[in-house]
Amino acid sequence: MHALIIDDSKTMRSILRRIVTELGFDTTEAGNGQEALDALEAGLVPDICLIDWNMPLMDGYTFVTRVRADDRWRNVTLMMVTTESEHGQIVRALAAGAHEYVIKPFTPDAIIEKMELLGLVAQEVPA
Amino acid sequence: MPTAGDDGTGVISPTSFAYVADLLRRETAMLCEPGKEYLVEARLLPLARAAGQPDVDSYVALLGRDPSERAKAIDALTINETSWFRDLAPYQAFTEAMLPPLLEARAHVKHLEIWSAACSSGQEAYSLTMLLKENLPPGWTARIHATDVSTSMLERVRAGRYSQVEMNRGMPAQRLVTWFTRAGNEWEVSPELRSMVTTQHLNLAAPFPPMPVFDIVFLRNVLIYFDMDTKRDILRRVSSRISPDGYLLLGSSETTLDLDDAWTREAAGRVWMHRPRAVSPAAKAASPASPAGPAGPAGTTVRATAGVAQSTAPALSQTGA
Amino acid sequence: MTVTLEPSLGDVHAVVEEVWSSFLGAEEPILPLATPMPPGGWSAAITVSGGWDAQITVNLTDGAAQAVTSTMLMCPVEDCSDEDLRDALGELVNMVGGNVKSLMAGSAVLSLPLVGHGDISPGSHLVEVCRLELTWRGEPVVVTVHLPPTDDPS
Repeated sequence: MHALIIDDSKTMRSILRRIVTELGFDTTEAGNGQEALDALEAGLVPDICLIDWNMPLMDGYTFVTRVRADDRWRNVTLMMVTTESEHGQIVRALAAGAHEYVIKPFTPDAIIEKMELLGLVAQEVPA
Repeated sequence: MPTAGDDGTGVISPTSFAYVADLLRRETAMLCEPGKEYLVEARLLPLARAAGQPDVDSYVALLGRDPSERAKAIDALTINETSWFRDLAPYQAFTEAMLPPLLEARAHVKHLEIWSAACSSGQEAYSLTMLLKENLPPGWTARIHATDVSTSMLERVRAGRYSQVEMNRGMPAQRLVTWFTRAGNEWEVSPELRSMVTTQHLNLAAPFPPMPVFDIVFLRNVLIYFDMDTKRDILRRVSSRISPDGYLLLGSSETTLDLDDAWTREAAGRVWMHRPRAVSPAAKAASPASPAGPAGPAGTTVRATAGVAQSTAPALSQTGA
Repeated sequence: MTVTLEPSLGDVHAVVEEVWSSFLGAEEPILPLATPMPPGGWSAAITVSGGWDAQITVNLTDGAAQAVTSTMLMCPVEDCSDEDLRDALGELVNMVGGNVKSLMAGSAVLSLPLVGHGDISPGSHLVEVCRLELTWRGEPVVVTVHLPPTDDPS
């Protein structure tokens, strides 16, 4: 399974990378929506994109709209991971086609549980 | 395993641990066994610092004379790290395996009574209200009765407000925006959902206050804190509060099998739904159909008709140790 | 109609606490204690503009800044470059600022973070409306919210 991590902060990318690597994902990183789109155009097929909102060049919202407008990427799961936490922003992102939404700050459990909801990770029966 | 140091980040002393375990047992009947020192240390350290104490041992020393700190300590120790739709499978069982037969069986009253026992901050209770809103036909009502030994938890349930970090845990984003609005730094559940939930202070280890008979009981991940005898006693008393055709759900790794043979169980996906054991096979076979509609699907146990009192359970057999 | 123009101290504190407990507080929580801030150190600032205009700043000592970076990147302090510190502190103020922004009504836009060693004083025309003095691992952490001065309706 492959995750594309899209955030202009190297720190945040490394936090997300550690969490999804632990879940068994390979990862690719991009610093903004344009870089991410370029990676998709070049043939990358991620199972999931973890997407920040506020980034230079192309923000995460725009990236979501571009991906959802293209049939080639209809099976790519899109999960926002962002500080944008107004009710209206979340509604906008979901309306644009994001499948899930994590508000920063988050704990690793939050990402894992969202991935379980999305069916990308099998649930572990708790001890 | 951390070792004691003089920077205050060592493990709690055996004396302090014994005091805390005893306090918990007296106030809540919950057990805190040796081996859990690191958990107690982790849960009490922030409280210790906030109270200006250098370490957990000094903090524990003041618990004896400070009731408000004692209450905070108990809350910190008994809180279950909880998420929405926790473990998923029980909620799938609720929607797919429990609701359909109950919608038939209760068609004459169009109402469901559900008990969220040891409700903590209410995520379980409100998760159930969302599923009910999505699955109950028009004209139906439901009530979730949320109980807990902690009055501060019950206040949280009544307030229905959760932090961003809490909302991240297991809540599908679509349900977040449908049922919650921002309130300061938190999210507040809609009045519509809040009106479906009632709260009551209840110590599971003590005799229950007057309560209705429930169609579904969620008793998840709390029996583990009690000793064997108390577990049996709680289950016995729960069985008198559940409808003969009702459902009991325990935590994923919990079972009644070695505790009480007043229950049978049915699989629903990865979970076991515990049902009150029918009195006799003859009674089951002779059960008249509910006046409201046709016989239910195969596999359902006896449906109580109005006025039929639940028979007493057979005597408990002592299995295992 | 009364319009709330600034976030409450309690809400800002809750925001900072959540950021800290999610990424930084595993061993030691951030505490509501004021410790004197020595000169120097790092500043990370972010601005909000649109429906609400503000600047949110986080000030930390070198020690606290290094600890933040080392913890979030999970690498030893000595391996963290200045670039790493800028990035980590930028993300820190992004999370604090973004959540403070969401406390306020109206739609507003978050800038990219600005991080510097030494004090980034908000423009002298800005007014401090909120000051949170905290301590983490014995070091001071100060979070401030500045607003443009309110115009008197004439």
